[in-house]
Amino acid sequence: MIQLVDVTKTFDRFAAVKGANMMVPKGAIYGLLGPNGAGKTTLLKMMAGILRQDRGTIAVDGEDVWENVRIKQRLLFLPDFVYFFPHATIRQMADFYEQLYPSFSRGRFLELQSVFALDPNKKIQQFSKGMQRQAAFWLAFSVRPDVLIMDEPLDGLDVFVRRHVKQLLIDEVVEREMTVVISSHNLRELEDLCDIVGLMAQGTVRMERDLNELRAGMHKLQAAFRGGFPSELAERLDIVHREERGSIVLLIVRGEKRRIEETVRAFHPLILDVLPLSLEEIFMYEMGGDAHVRETVVG
Amino acid sequence: MSVKQWSANRAMWGQNLRQIGWIAIIHWLLWLAAIVLPMALAYSQYDPKVGNIPQWYSVYDIANGMEALCAWLVPILAAAGVVRYMHEKRSADFIHSLPIRRTELLAGQMLIGWLFLAVPLVLTALVAIGCLYGLDLPWPIGAGDVGRWLGETLVVETMIFALGVMVGVLVGQSIVHIVLTNIALFFPTGIMVLLFSNLPLWLYGFPDGYYLSGNLMDWALPIRYKMLTDQAMSAGEAGLLLLLSLLFFGVSIWLYERRPTEAAGQALAFSVLRPLFVYGVAFCMCLTGGFYFGQVQRQWGWIIFGYVAFSLIGYAVAQMVVMKTWRVFHKWKGYIAFAAVMSVLFLTVRLDPVGYVRHVPNLSDIEKVYFGQSVMNWQNPNLMEREFEAFDQFLRTKDNIKAVRALHAQLVHDQPLPSRFGNVRPIVIGYVLKDGTRLLRRYEVPIEPYMLYFQRIMGSNEYKQQYYLLLRPSYSPIRQVTIRNVETGRPVVVLADPKEIESFVQALKQDLWNEPVEDIIRGGSTWQGDIELLQSDGDSFTVPLSSHSTHVREWLQQQHHWEQIQKR
Repeated sequence: MIQLVDVTKTFDRFAAVKGANMMVPKGAIYGLLGPNGAGKTTLLKMMAGILRQDRGTIAVDGEDVWENVRIKQRLLFLPDFVYFFPHATIRQMADFYEQLYPSFSRGRFLELQSVFALDPNKKIQQFSKGMQRQAAFWLAFSVRPDVLIMDEPLDGLDVFVRRHVKQLLIDEVVEREMTVVISSHNLRELEDLCDIVGLMAQGTVRMERDLNELRAGMHKLQAAFRGGFPSELAERLDIVHREERGSIVLLIVRGEKRRIEETVRAFHPLILDVLPLSLEEIFMYEMGGDAHVRETVVG
Repeated sequence: MSVKQWSANRAMWGQNLRQIGWIAIIHWLLWLAAIVLPMALAYSQYDPKVGNIPQWYSVYDIANGMEALCAWLVPILAAAGVVRYMHEKRSADFIHSLPIRRTELLAGQMLIGWLFLAVPLVLTALVAIGCLYGLDLPWPIGAGDVGRWLGETLVVETMIFALGVMVGVLVGQSIVHIVLTNIALFFPTGIMVLLFSNLPLWLYGFPDGYYLSGNLMDWALPIRYKMLTDQAMSAGEAGLLLLLSLLFFGVSIWLYERRPTEAAGQALAFSVLRPLFVYGVAFCMCLTGGFYFGQVQRQWGWIIFGYVAFSLIGYAVAQMVVMKTWRVFHKWKGYIAFAAVMSVLFLTVRLDPVGYVRHVPNLSDIEKVYFGQSVMNWQNPNLMEREFEAFDQFLRTKDNIKAVRALHAQLVHDQPLPSRFGNVRPIVIGYVLKDGTRLLRRYEVPIEPYMLYFQRIMGSNEYKQQYYLLLRPSYSPIRQVTIRNVETGRPVVVLADPKEIESFVQALKQDLWNEPVEDIIRGGSTWQGDIELLQSDGDSFTVPLSSHSTHVREWLQQQHHWEQIQKR
């Protein structure tokens, strides 16, 4: 659906994005993770056709985004600081969106009024920051875009609204196969939402992983053996991390869950628990040597 | 334009109306106040018995200058309004994320901005015509005048607006936009004035006034607009301005397609413009410094100080604007390079490789010389003949050509640079050569050291005869002579008898022939009264009665008039 190849963007002499590659399949929720200043916002703005890349290609459905009205009509960008016309009300903004986006749904707009509980006839600038962000979500969901690109969208929303918004997002993805790209500097915020996570640091996308594959491909074991941990077993497992706590050994092992279990059971463990790994842990072990990225995402 | 695109533009138009529609309303109110309100006032004050009709020769006479302000500032405001969305970071991001192509977006903005100007103008014209024909008063102007005003104003406002939009695309801040649009508006005139007024310092004898007196002011639209009262716009001029406007609109779109969105908030939108801007400002300020100290303090030390100080300030301020910080002092290398280039340029011109300064034509090539204090009459010699005292003259006798040429050669050799406050006279020397070539120079000359040269030229019969109207072979006959008392200014002697007048004028002519050159230049003699001469064509002119007027005095004493004149 969205493909970025070797995208580079330099401001004056500062290279914000340096040869970034990225692939977002249709109907996926893609989380773009990275510390402040990693180039996430620049990358998203290029994806939305706001900024033009110096080099590389950005394509949605195989078409260049830049100055492409057909693509941009199906794509909506929600910035980190939402913008509305001065003195505009939500209703006026909705009228504006309706004229610009063919997919805008008046019915959806009215339907969502009960969810967001904002006065559509009040000037948006009189709202609090969090309410303004809700207004932006309201409008964005009413546009019903095929692609929704959001820059740190959940900042400043309370837990209740955040849950609502996440649910709405998931519904849209399930019902209409909407494609979502969402950036954050906080892994935990994306954990229960994303299908794919891309890690960005210093202007490049360092890695891109399918979360389900990641979860299925790495496991935490807690086991105890008579006579200590058998060295033969260590050779037969792809161990990422090993930690002994008295007679119990804690292992982070890469591989398929069933096969790992079979392998370990062959050595007749006294105890064997297979525990779930948090996304944070997976990333920590996955990143291994990339200390910079590890620190910024997990720390 | 497709249906969808039309819908997108309609959305933007609606937004514009809400956000900056007030500009159109202000525009209309200002024009109503400038043109229609005075009409209403004139009507309410009109009294058919008194017949107090307003003295208007064109629509421009109605508003007394307010109209120039309107036509100049409102289009800039409109331009600032329609491109403001790209000058503010958040709105720039928002607008450019919308599904509208840049070309159509800016074209739509330009169209609505232009309508904000055009519609109020047309409405004002309609109301004005309604007043002229609806209110019962013998108006001095009619619908044709209003039509001329509408057409010319529309052309001027369109041009200023188009320039404003183009500058707006080039910059990234609204304040910079407004300032730079005004500078751009006066730039052609300003840079020419600066260059021409600096050239005399670089090229000794360069006649700056000759080049400055032309139609340079027409190039600054607000000034040109002010002059429309007396000088209507020709179809050619209007066509040229409209063509330029179209060009500016086209260039705006071409630039906008290449303009980085992230330029919002920057002073200049394109990085290539930054050095151009910095060195351009430094250059203009440099010329301004030279111009100022060249006028005020004619000493090379001060002039060079002016060049350096002003260009340094210009350079630093421009860097501050571009870099958005006042800590620019580490950028000194760029200034050194600028100073080096300017020095080389200055020295090259001063060394005068084409021999502009030293060139004095050969005596045998000269057909006639022009000698005077102003460049004005060089092009229009027939104006001189109407002057009662013609300082500027064309001289044809061999002796005078020699004398002028000798003064010229001496000036080129000495190159005096006198202080403005001393006893200094501007001297303009021109040559018309036998092959038709013309050559003009202007010098500021201290009088005393060159008095001998002046006496040789101005004391000659040819010069004297052309100098005074009375000494010229043909002038309208004198019908009356009035001599006024030195103290009271009251007429004490009036001569109306042709014979008496004839004999008086003969005496006066004798005095004029004998008048020393020093008096012509300095007016050194004591003033003892005024002689007013009325000509048959109704013109009158005054000759001072001075201590040198010996023949006149004798004549008056013989006629027993002298006592009355001297009576206190």
